[in-house]
This record gives sequence, C-alpha cells and structure tokens, in this order.
Amino acid sequence: MSEEESYLHRRLDCGIELATLPLAGRRTTAYEIRVVAGLADEPDDLGGLARLVEQTIAKGTEKRSAQALSDAFDSLGAKIGSGVGRESQVYRCSCLPEYVDEALALHAEMLRTPTFPEEFCRVAVDLAQQELTALEDEPGELSRKLLAPNAYGRRLGRHELGSRESLARINREHLVAFWREHFTPAKMQVSIAGAIDAEAVGGLLERLFADFGGPRLACSNGHSAEFMPGQNHHQKALEQEHILICWPGTTITDRDYPVERLAVSALGEGMSSRLFVEVREKRGLVYWVGAWDEHPRKTGRIFLGASTTPARCDQTYGALLGEVDRLGKDLSQQELDRARVGIIAKMQTHGDITRARVAELCSDLFHYGRPVPLAEKRDLLLAVTIPDVQRYLNEHPRDKLCVQTLGPTMLEGRPT
Amino acid sequence: MSGSSNGFVDQTLDNGLRIVIEPMSTVQSAAAGFLVRTGARDETPELAGVSHFLEHMCFKGTAKRDWHQITIEFDEMGSTYNAYTSKERTFYFGWVRTEDLQRQMELLGDMMRSVIPPQEFETEKKVILEEIAMSADQMDSCIYDLIHERLYAGHSLAWPVLGTTETISALGRDQLFEYFEGRYHPANMVLIVAGAVDPEATLKMAERFCGAWKPKAPRPRRIEPPTITPAVHVRIADRFQQQALAIAYPAPSATHPDREDADVFAAILGGHNSRFFWKIIQAGLAPYVAAGRLDYCDAAIMIAFGFCEPDKAEALLEGMKQELSRATRDGVTRDEVQRVKNRTRTALTTEAEAPYYRLMQLVHDIDVLGGPRNVEERLAAVEAVTPDSILAYLKRWPIAGPGSLTSMGPRNWPDGSPFVL
Repeated sequence: MSEEESYLHRRLDCGIELATLPLAGRRTTAYEIRVVAGLADEPDDLGGLARLVEQTIAKGTEKRSAQALSDAFDSLGAKIGSGVGRESQVYRCSCLPEYVDEALALHAEMLRTPTFPEEFCRVAVDLAQQELTALEDEPGELSRKLLAPNAYGRRLGRHELGSRESLARINREHLVAFWREHFTPAKMQVSIAGAIDAEAVGGLLERLFADFGGPRLACSNGHSAEFMPGQNHHQKALEQEHILICWPGTTITDRDYPVERLAVSALGEGMSSRLFVEVREKRGLVYWVGAWDEHPRKTGRIFLGASTTPARCDQTYGALLGEVDRLGKDLSQQELDRARVGIIAKMQTHGDITRARVAELCSDLFHYGRPVPLAEKRDLLLAVTIPDVQRYLNEHPRDKLCVQTLGPTMLEGRPT
Repeated sequence: MSGSSNGFVDQTLDNGLRIVIEPMSTVQSAAAGFLVRTGARDETPELAGVSHFLEHMCFKGTAKRDWHQITIEFDEMGSTYNAYTSKERTFYFGWVRTEDLQRQMELLGDMMRSVIPPQEFETEKKVILEEIAMSADQMDSCIYDLIHERLYAGHSLAWPVLGTTETISALGRDQLFEYFEGRYHPANMVLIVAGAVDPEATLKMAERFCGAWKPKAPRPRRIEPPTITPAVHVRIADRFQQQALAIAYPAPSATHPDREDADVFAAILGGHNSRFFWKIIQAGLAPYVAAGRLDYCDAAIMIAFGFCEPDKAEALLEGMKQELSRATRDGVTRDEVQRVKNRTRTALTTEAEAPYYRLMQLVHDIDVLGGPRNVEERLAAVEAVTPDSILAYLKRWPIAGPGSLTSMGPRNWPDGSPFVL
C-alpha cells in the first residue's frame, strides 16, 4: 500500500474492457484476459463444454498448428495458463516486458482465429472422460464436486468436467458454437500490470481486436444461484471421511463483504483461527480443517471443510458447527484485529508478485466493474467492528446447511 | 560484516550458526527461515517419522511461549508461515512486511529452542496419524512412497517422511526430545533471510536471538544409498481407480555437475510443451504424464511417470518407452533446449520479485550445493546446456537398458519379468 497505484480503466473502441496498473521497478509484466463465459453458460445437456473450449482453443489457429502456437509462446519465454470457472474463463500470461506485445498478439490470434481441429476436439473429450476417472482418486475435489449442485443449484453448481453422458454428446461443432457465441471483445476484460506503458497497451489491443466478433453483447451481470439445504453422503472406501458444510453468505459487492471476510478469517484462516485451535490443536481431530468463502457475482457461500478418520466424523462435524455458533457470541477484539492484519499484511507481501497483483485486478474488474485500490479495501476492513460481525452472523445464520460427506461412514443423528 | 561477490551476506556466528542474507532492493517484504539439516533419511527404522513429528512439535511450545501464543504471534504479523519436512531437511519459514522481520526472526528462533511440551505430545500424535490417513488416500503420495520403499529398500531413503501408523503410535516424547537435541543445534542449522532488509541490522538480530545457542559437533556424514537394482515393482491398490506407472533410471545427484543437463532434458521430455505432452497426453493415452529428477545429496533417479485408466496402462508404458528410446537415439533439438532456457529466464525473473520465492530457492541451494546462487548464476548454469551436452549426458546417465518399473493401482500388472527398454 506504500507502492503508488495509478490505475487506468476504460472500455476500448473494439469493445474490450481494459484495466492497467503500471508498477515501478518491476522486471516482469503479467496480464489476464477474462472471457465472461463459464460453466453456467453451457447448454444444459452439454456439461463440460466450457472447459473443452478452454482446452482446445490453444490447439491451432488459422496461421499456426497447435504445437507451433505453443512454441511461439515459448520463444518469448511467456509463462501461460488458463482456467475455467462458474461464470468465466481466464487466459493468463507473465513474461519479460520486452515480449508483452508479442504475447498479447499471440493470445489475440488464439482467441480470434482458433481452428478447433477435429482430432484435438476428440482427444479433449476423451481426456475429460479420463479425468472423471482421475477425479475419483482425489477425494478433496470430488467432495467439492458433489456439494456444488446443492450449494449453488444445477446451473451455477456445475463441475468443469461435466458428466460421462454430457461429454459423450459433445463434438467439434458444439465447441465452435460456444466460441462464436461468447468470444467477443464485449465479453472480454483485460487486466495488465507490472512494467507497462498503459497507453501503448490500449492502442495495441485496439489493433489486435479490431473488427472482431459479432453484435456487441454487454457482460452479463451474473447468474442466480439456488441453495438446496440437506445432507448427502457418497460412499467410498477411504481412510478418511471428508466433510463439507455450506450456507449462504453475502455478495462480494455488498457492504457486509468485509465483515464476512473477517468472520471467515477469524473462523478458519491461520493457525490461531477458531477451527484450527479448537478442532485440530486442542482435540487432535483432524490434520486438515478450514473455512473459506466463494463468490460468483450475484451470490456468496461460506464453507467449512475437514477430513478425519471415520470414527471421529460425528465429533468433528459437531465441533465445526459449534465454533460457528460460538464465534457470534464471544469473538474477541484481538481475534478480529488478527484477522484484519492477516488480510492486510498479505495484500502487501503478496503484492510484491506482479502476477498476484494482476490476478487481484482481474478479480476486481469482474466483480466490481472497476479497479479497487488496495487502500480502499484496507479502509473497509479497518472499519469493521465486533458488533458488525455479530450482526452479520445473525443475519446470515447457519440454520439451513448443505452438508456433503465422502468416505466410508455416514453422519449419524443429523438433520437432513 | 563481510559480503560475497554474488550479492549475498554469508556469515557464521561464534557458536557455528551460519546466516545467509539476500538483500532485495525492489520489494516491500522480507522472508526468513531456519534450515535444519535433518529429514527422514536421518532416522532409524523405529523412529521413522520423527523429523516430521518434530516439525509439528516446534510449533507447540518454548520456554517463553505456549502453542497458542506462537500461532497468535504469527497471525498478528499477518505472516505467510509454515514448515515442511523432506527426506533430507526440515525448514521453518515466515514471510512478512519488512517492519515485522525482527519479530518474525525472534519468533522463529524461539521455536528452534522448543521444549517439546509433554502435555501436547499425545494430541499432536493424533493430528499426525490423521495426516498419515489423509496421505494414504492420495495417489501421488502413495506412488512416491512406493518408489522410495522399493528402489531404496534397506536404506533410510526408503522410509516415508510421515512415518507409519505403527512407528508414530509407538513413538515416545523422550525419544523425540533426544532426536531434537542431537539435530537442532547451530552446526546443523542455517538462518536464511531474503527481502528488503538491512544486512547489518539483520546480522545483529541473528546474534541477539541465536547467539546464545550452545554449539555442538557437526553431524556425521550420511550413509550413501546403494545403487538401484533394476526390477519391476507392483502394488495392488484397488481403492484407486487409476493405475500409476513410473520408469526409473539412476541420475545425477543434487550436487553433481550433470544436474542442469538432467533437468533441461527432463523438461523437454515431460514438462510444459514437452514430448510427453504432445505424444502421450494429446494422443489421448493418459491425462497426466511427466518426467523429472528425484534428487538427494548423494543419489537421484530420473523418472518418467503417469496416471491413467487401468486398461490404458500398456499404451502409456509403450508411449513413455518410445519417447525414452527416441531421446536416447536422437537426442534433443536446439529449439527444444532454447524453449526451456526462455521459460527459465522468465521464471527466474519472477522469482526475483518475491522474497518468499527466493527463500525457497535459497534453502535448496544452501542445503545441497553448500552456498546461495543468485538469479544470474542460475541462469548461466542453464544457458550452458546444449543439445550436445544433453546427448553426452544421456551417454553417462542412460535411460535405456534395464531399469526399474513401479506400478500401483487396481491391476496386478505387469508380471514379474524384468523391465528392459
């Protein structure tokens, strides 16, 4: 926060929303291109489509083969990556400043002129089927997949891999159709930070994305979520039982978001948090325990998670919820201050990493529609009081829960 | 205060504690950590897991603080902190705003004088038994442990870092304390600091926090593991849905001059935009396959490994074998080597932005190479690699002929016939 922040934010003539953050003294540049089309935008019967597009869009352009495109990025030393989420997909790059124009040009070529070769589309579907098998060997991710439809509803709670049935329906034409519908400049947000010339980047993007895409579509305002409380168990032969608990929180743009953020942190972030102290350190029930919040654009969810040996499953479940209840009654000023310092300090330390700064900027653009200076976030956190947290917890009670267990044992005696 | 030619301050206190500092001018944070040169390979069979258990117990209490105070103080600084234990080292670290560095160093230093509180011992044992149970559900952990168990059988590198349910259950607090006393002393530790720091002030802090630690004699030299015997190792693990396969050949150790050639070659074979990616993953044979070196101070293996659906195991194995044969026959191309160098250049520049990243690299360099390397030195080492040097490397460290194959998953496959490429 001592580093000067001079954001520029505007919509370019080509339709792209651009945010820039020059950072003095940096020797790298990082950018993220967000396309506002994610799992929730898939047709109902084509689960897995968004990720298949994200995986195959790099498999060749009108000018380059798949391998030639990868080689071109490598010739710049560009570290690239991508991922798909509930409401969008993001294409990332970090590189030395002298190569950023060429890297952006390659990404523009990839996003504008993908060829989706038939063979790569077929292999991508086949690999996704195999990854569904692999998911069975990852109990943490599998339990999150099982919980999501109840936590978010059938649309927003989709998993990126889809299902065996939905994958079997998908062919190249579906990928091309999804790309045509969603990959337009008006649905793209570009965030770039580090050693950059903000004006030059804007001009470059105007040239790279000129005359691309069909009719202008404004970025949608997010998908509505559903919440279906209840308890579900998935039987599986494991050493540990995985427990996930979820209930509705607030949206990231709500005035109570900083309050929620601090409540969640006091509950389950850091080794002095309630869950770590009470469930792990005092009772030795778990190795892994945590609390976190997730935020699609129009909703929010609070999660608790732990894994424990089956005989201690009920005790762990009770201890998790007991700490939520206790937090609303006896949160101390010291705990609140620790949570606050933890978030603010990490904004500063992690801010030394250019790609962490651009990830933050990209998230702000998506959720708030503008760059949010770190000082503004800090001030909102500093304003939160204990009565704010108590009020928040009263207004967002954990009286209706989604509970997912995965492992050899069902919870006993819990309401469904 | 004496500096070194490559930008580091490297000094030793009177009691033998070495301190290495890397000042970084463009950052706003600092990271500090204590390297303890002890890990799973330094244990006896009945004490398997004791190094990792100690790592947990160092968070549990000192003469000045109980476990709750320790965690509270870390979190009061907003520190990004943790510790890890490997086969050869234990490392405790924290990454904070520069103004909190002194407090961070004092806290970490105090933890290195743990009293191993007896009243916390049994509760922490339960936590570690949960960690062992969690690890048993993770396929990558299981195949990693199986490779070491079989390839280094009879040597301490074979024992799992976490220990086993049996060894941890049987472990007593006094055994732990005795092991602690023999390892956590200045001659066996290094304090490493990187970030926006004043080296002189940092050295004074180190003297204040650690100068009174009692010196002890250095640990004896480790026993080298035996040469790997080519064989096929199979473990049926029907709780998993996939089959894991790993082909292994001897490779240069962490200190061997051939290590850079080995790592560039591994990146070409099984890293990003690699031969494995295009010939195996993009052929639809397996969703995950990679290559890399598992290296220790006096031994290493080069492994090609992957996870696949059980009925694709033969195809995955054949795909890996074909690429190993092709590399042995034809070597690698200039473009392939250059691509790895280009990526390394960006990765090293990114690493130089964050004290945390630098700390993690420094602990490796100091532990296995004996001294820190700056970004320019590391880049120069990679720049020296050429297609010809890799071809020569593959002659010295062949990935052909009799090797080791490890297979784990629902299939009892392959049969016991020797693995020969």
